[in-house]
Amino acid sequence: MTSSPIVAAQLVRHFGSGDDVVKAVDGVDLEVNAGEIFGLLGPNGAGKSTIVRVFTTLLKPTSGSARVAGFDVVRDADKVRRSIGVALQDAAIDPLMTGRELLNLQAVLYGLTKGAGRTRGDELLERVGLTAAAERRVGTYSGGMRRRLDLALSLVHEPTVLFLDEPTTGLDPMSRLTLWEEVRRLNKSGTTVLLTTQYLEEADQLADRIAIVDHGRIVRAGVPRDLKAQVGSPTLFIDVDQSHIESARSTLARFGELRPSAEGTLGVGLVRGAEDVALVVRALDAAGIKVRHLELNEPSLDDVFAEATGHRLEGAQ
Amino acid sequence: MSIATTVAHSAQLTKRSVRGRLRQPAALAPAFIFPLFFAALGSASFNRLARDPYFSENIASSFLDYAVAGAVVQGVLFGATSAAGDLATDIEQGFFERLLASPISRVSIVLGRLAASMVVGVSQVVVFISLFVAFGARVTSGAVGVIGLIVSGALLGLAMAGLMAAIAIKSGSPEVVQGSFPLVFVLLFLSSAFFPRHYMTGWYRTVADWNPMSHIVEGMQGFMNHELNVDQFVKAWLVPLGISIVGIAFALRSLNRRLAAS
Repeated sequence: MTSSPIVAAQLVRHFGSGDDVVKAVDGVDLEVNAGEIFGLLGPNGAGKSTIVRVFTTLLKPTSGSARVAGFDVVRDADKVRRSIGVALQDAAIDPLMTGRELLNLQAVLYGLTKGAGRTRGDELLERVGLTAAAERRVGTYSGGMRRRLDLALSLVHEPTVLFLDEPTTGLDPMSRLTLWEEVRRLNKSGTTVLLTTQYLEEADQLADRIAIVDHGRIVRAGVPRDLKAQVGSPTLFIDVDQSHIESARSTLARFGELRPSAEGTLGVGLVRGAEDVALVVRALDAAGIKVRHLELNEPSLDDVFAEATGHRLEGAQ
Repeated sequence: MSIATTVAHSAQLTKRSVRGRLRQPAALAPAFIFPLFFAALGSASFNRLARDPYFSENIASSFLDYAVAGAVVQGVLFGATSAAGDLATDIEQGFFERLLASPISRVSIVLGRLAASMVVGVSQVVVFISLFVAFGARVTSGAVGVIGLIVSGALLGLAMAGLMAAIAIKSGSPEVVQGSFPLVFVLLFLSSAFFPRHYMTGWYRTVADWNPMSHIVEGMQGFMNHELNVDQFVKAWLVPLGISIVGIAFALRSLNRRLAAS
């Protein structure tokens, strides 16, 4: 049996039944190594949160198995809960309570004594920069402050495995960076982190390894750098007049494989890289096609996503 | 999960619930204002009833003395419904799930809310009785009667919070819980909370005779207006206790079903 802290084998979770069944997770195999940051990347509705909810014992799998910190999420649910920290998607925090009250409550729920809970609460408040706001009701916190408090709450019992479900969705860039720093710091101290995100940059910057999730399945997994290298060539995106789009498509196809792109834009993977750009422009010009906009992108996780799923990641940044 | 852990978790969540109630004065106010309003209205409108020999000999010496129990019951029902509404809000907004992701004793989530309803119920009885006594009401059965009223208020809070918590957990919607409250109010109007059963006739009397709320109110009215007797304790304590057992059972069943469905 594997000693990895997070393992799923043929994990399936369906909602509903009969013709209305929704296959939110449809046969996921996953293994996260101790001490790594693992990112689940995918659009809304891909099944990322459902996977996290199964790992955190909030949902039971329809079939397959999942183990966290060595415990089965169904048979040893309570042991799993004691081993993990969880920050869910919406930072559901009681707005009527203060930050400190919430930390104290969390400490009691995880069996800390009053004194130990207070000390730990003070440490965490300082760590996430909320000491000054500790006695304020959470209802007065900004989105970034709530997320940081949520993270602090998930760390009260010093978990070895941390689940972060879209930890930076809706945050401003500064708050996002602050949270990334904290996640890195936690990881350096030995915490294994599984996070979900729909932000390409977040997955690229933060995760040691990622899995791309689409329609409840993992369609690619690996180190971001390796995945991008597999795509190989850069993608040239061009905007042309709608009346010329078909002829532009056939012209571009001479230079490489056409890749998924946003509506009204064409994308082609240039086999010989940047040196083909001038040739593409000349060929389009010769065909009487006016280029309105042109952009050459090195392989990104969006390209990996597009290659794996046939469509670009919604809300890609 | 050990009993000590369940008690510790329930106590923390009770504290949280009570604190939450106190921090929403706008939500707490109706539970105090409306019962006082109805009691004042009843006293002003029906005080001549106290001149009726049957009323003054068998029911109460003034309509204000009579109205106290109805006001207490009404206030406790308001408070318990609000507590269940808070539970539904926890479910709707995700705090319930946050608790489930922790190693909390599952029943504590419900017990904490129910205990908070008892605490609020007790404080409501104390406030109402203090106010009514200040305005001239009298607790005939003395200090033991006051304790009887307080315990009854706590048990009624528990009973109603249990039933409403079952609805809250099943629906996960504060709107559904609030929407259920008019049914409770109908139950209250079809009881002797606002008018003695003796003067009712026809189907209204029949419904009031069978309505457990009538018996709870009359048990409490007994503490207010008569010397102590066993009948008061049976009506004011045992009836809400019985409903509490049913309410808690329903609430825990709803919780188990919700957890099993996850």
